[in-house]
Amino acid sequence: MPLSRSGHGTSSGHPLTFLEPQISQVVSLFRTRYNFAVPDSAVSIESLVKFFPPARGGWRGFLQPFERPSIPALEDLSFSVREGEAVALLGANGAGKSTLLRILATLLLPTSGRARIAGHDAVESPREARQNLGYHAGSDLGFYARLTGRENLLFFGRLNRLSVATARDRIAQFSARFELSEALDRQVRTLSSGTIQRLSLSRALLHAPRVLLLDEPTRSLDAIAARSFRHFLKSELQRGTTSLLFASHSLPEIELLADRIAVLSEGRLLALDTPSSLKQKTSSTSLEEAFVRLTGHRHEGLAPEAHQ
Amino acid sequence: MISVLRELWLFFLRDLYIAKSYRSPVVMEIVQALFGTAMFYYVARFVDSPELRQALPQSGGYFAFALVGFVFLDYLNAALDTFDRSLEEARDTGTLEHLLVTQTSLPAMLAGSALYPFAATTLRIAVYLAWGALLFGFPLRTANWLAVLLVLLVSLLAFSGLGILSAGYLLLFKRGNPAKWLLLGISSVAGGMLFPTSILPDWLQLFARLNPITYALDALRASLLGSVHLRDVLHHVSILLLFAAVLLPLGMLAFAAALRRTKSTGTLAHR
Repeated sequence: MPLSRSGHGTSSGHPLTFLEPQISQVVSLFRTRYNFAVPDSAVSIESLVKFFPPARGGWRGFLQPFERPSIPALEDLSFSVREGEAVALLGANGAGKSTLLRILATLLLPTSGRARIAGHDAVESPREARQNLGYHAGSDLGFYARLTGRENLLFFGRLNRLSVATARDRIAQFSARFELSEALDRQVRTLSSGTIQRLSLSRALLHAPRVLLLDEPTRSLDAIAARSFRHFLKSELQRGTTSLLFASHSLPEIELLADRIAVLSEGRLLALDTPSSLKQKTSSTSLEEAFVRLTGHRHEGLAPEAHQ
Repeated sequence: MISVLRELWLFFLRDLYIAKSYRSPVVMEIVQALFGTAMFYYVARFVDSPELRQALPQSGGYFAFALVGFVFLDYLNAALDTFDRSLEEARDTGTLEHLLVTQTSLPAMLAGSALYPFAATTLRIAVYLAWGALLFGFPLRTANWLAVLLVLLVSLLAFSGLGILSAGYLLLFKRGNPAKWLLLGISSVAGGMLFPTSILPDWLQLFARLNPITYALDALRASLLGSVHLRDVLHHVSILLLFAAVLLPLGMLAFAAALRRTKSTGTLAHR
């Protein structure tokens, strides 16, 4: 449950932000026990736990689908993302960022706990959850290489219940906004990584989802393309209609886009606060320093640009 | 219902556009069909004899018998292979996860991905039969086309259940197509593709009677070569429908369970 709905895009922390996981759990208890009507957060994560089975090689790999899950990826994770808010997931490789995003995108099942998108449980009502989310995995895969950008967008837009006319309108809008006009009529296999990323973001936004989930959106982009991509995203967020939960190793990206940062380490939530509050509470001069202090060690998971 | 049909159409269009983006496969397939048909014709000329004609259930000689068996194999292959192949392609191109985050349903996704390959296979079969009729005397005039279409449709339904089951296996274990291996293996001996099952030993004939391919092939040969009425194939069609009624839900359930399992183990996109 959001503590405040007036804080869209603000950078100052609410004084009670640190209580949010506990409040979220209490709300969840009321909701399930007493069918208590509570305004929905854009994203709500309650006591989320995920264990994976151990990876096996050789002939035992054949049995891997039936192995008992024993490797922890997320441990008792609880927080929420407010309407119109942008929350960054910050953590080293293996901290659980992608796992969390994939659970929310209904691509992964949690071991226990709840994950909701716009009030819809990702496990019990995956279709309703999917109606409200756009997912971008940060790779330049995921398109039909022999189809044009427009054909790809139209196909995915129509699968998301858009009419042909609406899909075409939206594609035209994104074409202008994301400078895709040339790319739209070329086969995807001929496009650069940066263009495919913009195409992918357009696909994620095409059906006007309430929540955008991005997994390292600038991972495969060069510095200039990444900068341009962030500005596209920032302009999209300033419209205030979409909530964003994204994972990134790039601290400049996080500082540019995020209202709040969820710091994860080994599947646990270490902190959830605004960038300025995190720095203030850890007596740090930079976000990198705050991250290092929170996680207790200098992390190799940060991208080089984070150290600049 | 309309939205499901619309989704199926979208998948069909997707595959049609992808196929169109490659140049000249149609010409190559037509030429390839000519070589295939010619090969059966000359094999049939080599082995044909009055005794062999007597052993065959319909007119048209061994050439017509073998060509129908061969084109049916193509259909069977499509039903068993299509789901695996489209799943593998989606996994390798990274589109699988993006399809799964859309609002489309799993059955629509599976059925939609099979539509174009089935349509293409039907056309290919038509080309084989057309070459056979144009150049090698395949007796098309005896065919009951309504019965042919009905038999092909219920055969597709029956064998698609196994194809979907096999796709579930692929999703879970990442390699292999056990349904294809098993069914094509058994059918090559006890399915009556290239020789009548009546020449098999008794115990193998029993095997043939338990095999849906035997019924599908018998009905298809009767429809194409036997000058039969639609009601004459209804017995075989109802047996095939029975297979479909069991195999399709079983395949869907197994695929959904495999998908759930891979979503639990985090191996959905693994190769």
